[in-house]
Amino acid sequence: MGWVTAKRLFFLVVLVAVTLAAMRLTIPEPDRLTPLSSKFRDVLAPAQSGLTWLSRQARHVVTMPLSLYGAAERSQALEQEVESLQYEITQLNEYKAENQRLTGLLNYKQVMVQQYDLLVASVIARDPGNWFATVTLNRGSRDGVRENMTVLTPQGLVGRVITVSNTNCEVLLITDPRSGVGALIQETRAPGIVEGTVGSSGLARIIHIPNDAQVEEGQVVVTSGLGSIFPKGIPIGIIASVSVESAGLFKRADIRLFADMNQLEEVFIVTTVFPEAGTPPAGGG
Amino acid sequence: MPFPFLLILLVAALLLQTSVLEVVSVAGVKPDLVMLIVVLNGFLLGPREGAFLGYIGGIVEDLFLGEYIGLNAISKMAAGYLAGVAGERLYKENTLVATGVTFFSAAAGLLVNYLLLFFLDLHVSPFYALLRLALPTALYTALLAPFIFGRIFRYFQVRSKDF
Repeated sequence: MGWVTAKRLFFLVVLVAVTLAAMRLTIPEPDRLTPLSSKFRDVLAPAQSGLTWLSRQARHVVTMPLSLYGAAERSQALEQEVESLQYEITQLNEYKAENQRLTGLLNYKQVMVQQYDLLVASVIARDPGNWFATVTLNRGSRDGVRENMTVLTPQGLVGRVITVSNTNCEVLLITDPRSGVGALIQETRAPGIVEGTVGSSGLARIIHIPNDAQVEEGQVVVTSGLGSIFPKGIPIGIIASVSVESAGLFKRADIRLFADMNQLEEVFIVTTVFPEAGTPPAGGG
Repeated sequence: MPFPFLLILLVAALLLQTSVLEVVSVAGVKPDLVMLIVVLNGFLLGPREGAFLGYIGGIVEDLFLGEYIGLNAISKMAAGYLAGVAGERLYKENTLVATGVTFFSAAAGLLVNYLLLFFLDLHVSPFYALLRLALPTALYTALLAPFIFGRIFRYFQVRSKDF
């Protein structure tokens, strides 16, 4: 090995070692967001929000030319008119869909008013990679959002707030491998922990179910309220398949989640849990 | 490609990754645009440049996320280096070859990422990590290669004629 190669190898080893150390030092801790990261997020939030809105509009507009296929005989002017009308219809449909979603949220909020104080938030950005599952919401500390607040949709549990800046917050979805939620099977009251698999899969599983518990496909999994982060009784999903953990002491089961993690647009942040909360809310499916 | 331009391209790719790509995700899997830029440039420029660009692209991504700083830097450095090594041994002017190299380099980078998760005490089931994430992401990223490889390749050809 020549001196040049040795020096390069030494530099590479030092670089990798320093990077590995940095990686360990920057493992996220709850309630920690540096002022620099906070500012960085606040500055990027409008750009991310704008791009997300644009992409959602584009998805609806892209389907429009298909409906115009085969209309070659029409005059250019008429086609243009049709295009503009189609665009308008697409926009109106988008408003209609948004209206239906918001009406659903409002109904849910009215039903849940006895149990929780809910704050509506929109998803403005997602984790850039596929390993983890986090989303950024357009609500921050100025709206009263705090770390560890529960995030849900009328269908079921979504995750919890992990970091908050002034104008937005980051939510750890229950499909993230770092997420753990105290849960129980509604029918049998058997306890377990719901953990994520990988971010992109949109799947979660319940682990550490006692071996003697009756676990079957189709049973509903809800939050247990243990651990003091998630309120009790929020629907999580339905058991899709059951297996035995490798150690043989517990069972585990894959869960089909009620909330579609890949299609999140508007969500609720639970800002206050009233003492009588705990009965399972409506929804789930 | 001038370095400042590449840096801007990487940041733009990152912004798209957090917003627009959600729309084109298939079964929750998004393509990795930063990986695509790193691998194709590494393939054309060589292993040292590929590794350097991978490290820079990855560290920009890590700083953007503000956590596990170095995780993407090391994995993309490995992918860039591998693409560079492949570029030295394979025929560069073929888009199909570039697509194949993108697939294998991206898969290798994601595998390194998976192994580094253990170092961070994050245990992910190998089934989900490899079959539901690494291979689909590498495949999706590679499928985008033909759309931009031609442009990058032509740019390097024009540049080599200029000098």
